[in-house]
Amino acid sequence: MNDPLQNQSLTSRNVRIYLDHNATTPPAPVLAARWSELLFVTGNPSSIHNESRMPKAWLRETRQKFANYLNCSPLEIIFNSGASEGNSSILKSAWQLRNQNRNEIIVSQVEHPSVIKTAEHLQAQGAIVHWVPVDRAGLIDLDFIKNKLSEKTLLVSVMFANNETGSIFPIKEIAALAHQAGALMHADCVQLLGKYNLEQHPEKLKIFDLDYATFSAHKFYALAGTGVVFIKKNSPWVPLVHGGGQERGRRGGTENVLGIASLGIVLDELKAAKVHVDEMLRLRNLLESSILARIDGCTITAAEGARLANTSSLVMTNVDGETLLMSLDLKGFSVSTGAACSSGNPEPSPVLLAMGLSRIEAQSSLRISLGWQTTEEQIILFVNTLVEVVAKLREINLTGKDLTHAVS
Amino acid sequence: MPSLNEKKNSKGRVLVAMSGGVDSSVAAALLVEQGYEVIGATMQVWDYTSCDITEGSGTCCSSLDVDDARSVADKLNIPFYVLNCEAKFKASVIDPFIKAYLNAQTPLPCVNCNTYLKFDHLIKKMKELDCDYLSTGHYAQIVTNEKGQAQIKTSTDDWKDQTYFLFTIDPEIVPKLLFPIGHLKKPQVREIAEAKGLVVAKKKDSTGICFVGAKGYEQFIKENVAADILASKKGQIKRFPSGEVMGAHEGIHLYTIGQGKGLGMTYHEKLFVISIKAEDNSVWVGEEKYLLKDEVNIIEPQWLTEIEEGAEYQVKIRYQHQGSAAVISKTENGYKLKFKEAQRAVTPGQAAVLYKNQQLVGGGWITLN
Repeated sequence: MNDPLQNQSLTSRNVRIYLDHNATTPPAPVLAARWSELLFVTGNPSSIHNESRMPKAWLRETRQKFANYLNCSPLEIIFNSGASEGNSSILKSAWQLRNQNRNEIIVSQVEHPSVIKTAEHLQAQGAIVHWVPVDRAGLIDLDFIKNKLSEKTLLVSVMFANNETGSIFPIKEIAALAHQAGALMHADCVQLLGKYNLEQHPEKLKIFDLDYATFSAHKFYALAGTGVVFIKKNSPWVPLVHGGGQERGRRGGTENVLGIASLGIVLDELKAAKVHVDEMLRLRNLLESSILARIDGCTITAAEGARLANTSSLVMTNVDGETLLMSLDLKGFSVSTGAACSSGNPEPSPVLLAMGLSRIEAQSSLRISLGWQTTEEQIILFVNTLVEVVAKLREINLTGKDLTHAVS
Repeated sequence: MPSLNEKKNSKGRVLVAMSGGVDSSVAAALLVEQGYEVIGATMQVWDYTSCDITEGSGTCCSSLDVDDARSVADKLNIPFYVLNCEAKFKASVIDPFIKAYLNAQTPLPCVNCNTYLKFDHLIKKMKELDCDYLSTGHYAQIVTNEKGQAQIKTSTDDWKDQTYFLFTIDPEIVPKLLFPIGHLKKPQVREIAEAKGLVVAKKKDSTGICFVGAKGYEQFIKENVAADILASKKGQIKRFPSGEVMGAHEGIHLYTIGQGKGLGMTYHEKLFVISIKAEDNSVWVGEEKYLLKDEVNIIEPQWLTEIEEGAEYQVKIRYQHQGSAAVISKTENGYKLKFKEAQRAVTPGQAAVLYKNQQLVGGGWITLN
């Protein structure tokens, strides 16, 4: 296997095992194979001359492929910079074009910051935001949603699956409730591509009956900086970026053709999604059963509810997640304590806290997310190392002379 | 597949605290050169979003400093992590700092940072990360005595020597410490940084208190203490020793013993703050001669090596103090230091730190009681 992460570690160890696919995915090997071709994906697709034809073709073909994948019209696809842009655009569009009677938004407490912060931004502008609780089993409070939905509800935004715990939320049911109340429905679907077999439903994305959905290319083995919005025909839209009429006037700025082309190439791989999802599920179950059998005081967050095949969120008592992550990194394993954060400065995960975990539990948590290239050997090596590191950290916690209690 | 767990070399693994300044950057570079396996870490100690962005070049709390540390770590090709120490820093450094000023003392936050963060929290991280040593860019040296015991000695650079801030170190951890730049003078440290192409080579020295920055501690306290509490610290300025009321002041936290400027009054003779009394918020000013004392009492003593009662030590009563000979004796609450020559401006909240032949012996907190 051509592992693109090999030799990239600053630790100069030559083997890295990457188990953080919910943060980002390594580029698919097929992209490396076609790199010299991609390098020449240049030219401005808005031009008229010959050089615009190839970039135009990449945009057209990728748009069509994505529309086929979702079972929608190519007109319902907007390319942009990523899911954060998509999420911000959707919430702001709905707010700007609202009917004056509808000024309430329903958002789950475990959404990505690009949804939460945009909702808070709208709150400051007068929106009433209802934050839907999610319990530690990963179940969203449907009664809360039912109680808050009314003729005043503008938009409901609940993600397809949570990036930290993998919990899958019943967006089909929530969309039906939202539509009954005359509200719009958005689902952040960043964790869907490649981690869920959408093709098991003949209707594909239509099965959920969404008005908006957001996607990100770098969560699916393509390049970062490319996002996709599904917008159901006639749904409210105001461009976040105004410009030269790109994306039918819905998103200004010369398109990131290279990123879009990379997505177009990788989308072909979705034919094999079922095989990959099944294999990730097998490996994830192996991972969890091995960890539970070998490490005491370990629980799996949200295991009771429906989950993505690739994600495991663990709480390990008497272990500091920050040090655990660093120790594993030094031994060649990439995992995370929660969502990736730009500062690299780990705070206890707001998602886990919102799900009712204590601060201590959140600080003792570890997220492992598998990918299409994860192997059984990698999982076995990881579990062996985790067992060893957790035992060592617990021993230090028990015997260590720690003055910290004196001040905190 | 090769084992992922092998240590790379026999010299050992070091956790080095990197602030993004030139000293700790060179410390890390020298350790790499000496063949240690080095891991860099920066303690995120204060929410830098509250810091003025223009202060970034000379203090240790801005995100730019974290970037600098990371950039040096990249250059040295070593792992690097940011440790979230904000809550601990607030509880053990910031809160006591504010409390001291409100209680008529002049605090020494760098000692608390060393006590509770660098040489406690990081020691724990050192063990957890399977490191053999902890290293910092302090101007201090580790020497081994004839019995083979590791001890802390002052830096070659008298001007930069930072052993004053290290008196609370647990003697048990001294063998685990490495101070790679303690035998160098500052200009040499800069030369090494330059020669190794570290981005921080020309960076301004951090002076003063990292979390306070250029705005000054008065402003910091104003921003971090409720207005009604600050208002309750107002009081009278009195003449020492007569008690004559000379005026009013805006809060005892604005004064420190020995202060001669900014007393908010014009007077025909030069006056200094002689003492500050928390019980009635009075600030006493008087002639300079009243600042001189030949006895200093200390509490909460910490000793790196055994002390000998009745023996004479060199004692520093503030960071920039030259040090002066004093004889130590035990008291009910701590120790008494009897100086041969009277010392100016003995200040509660500061530390008295003892040395014997350049070796750090320990110290305690100065008190009036």
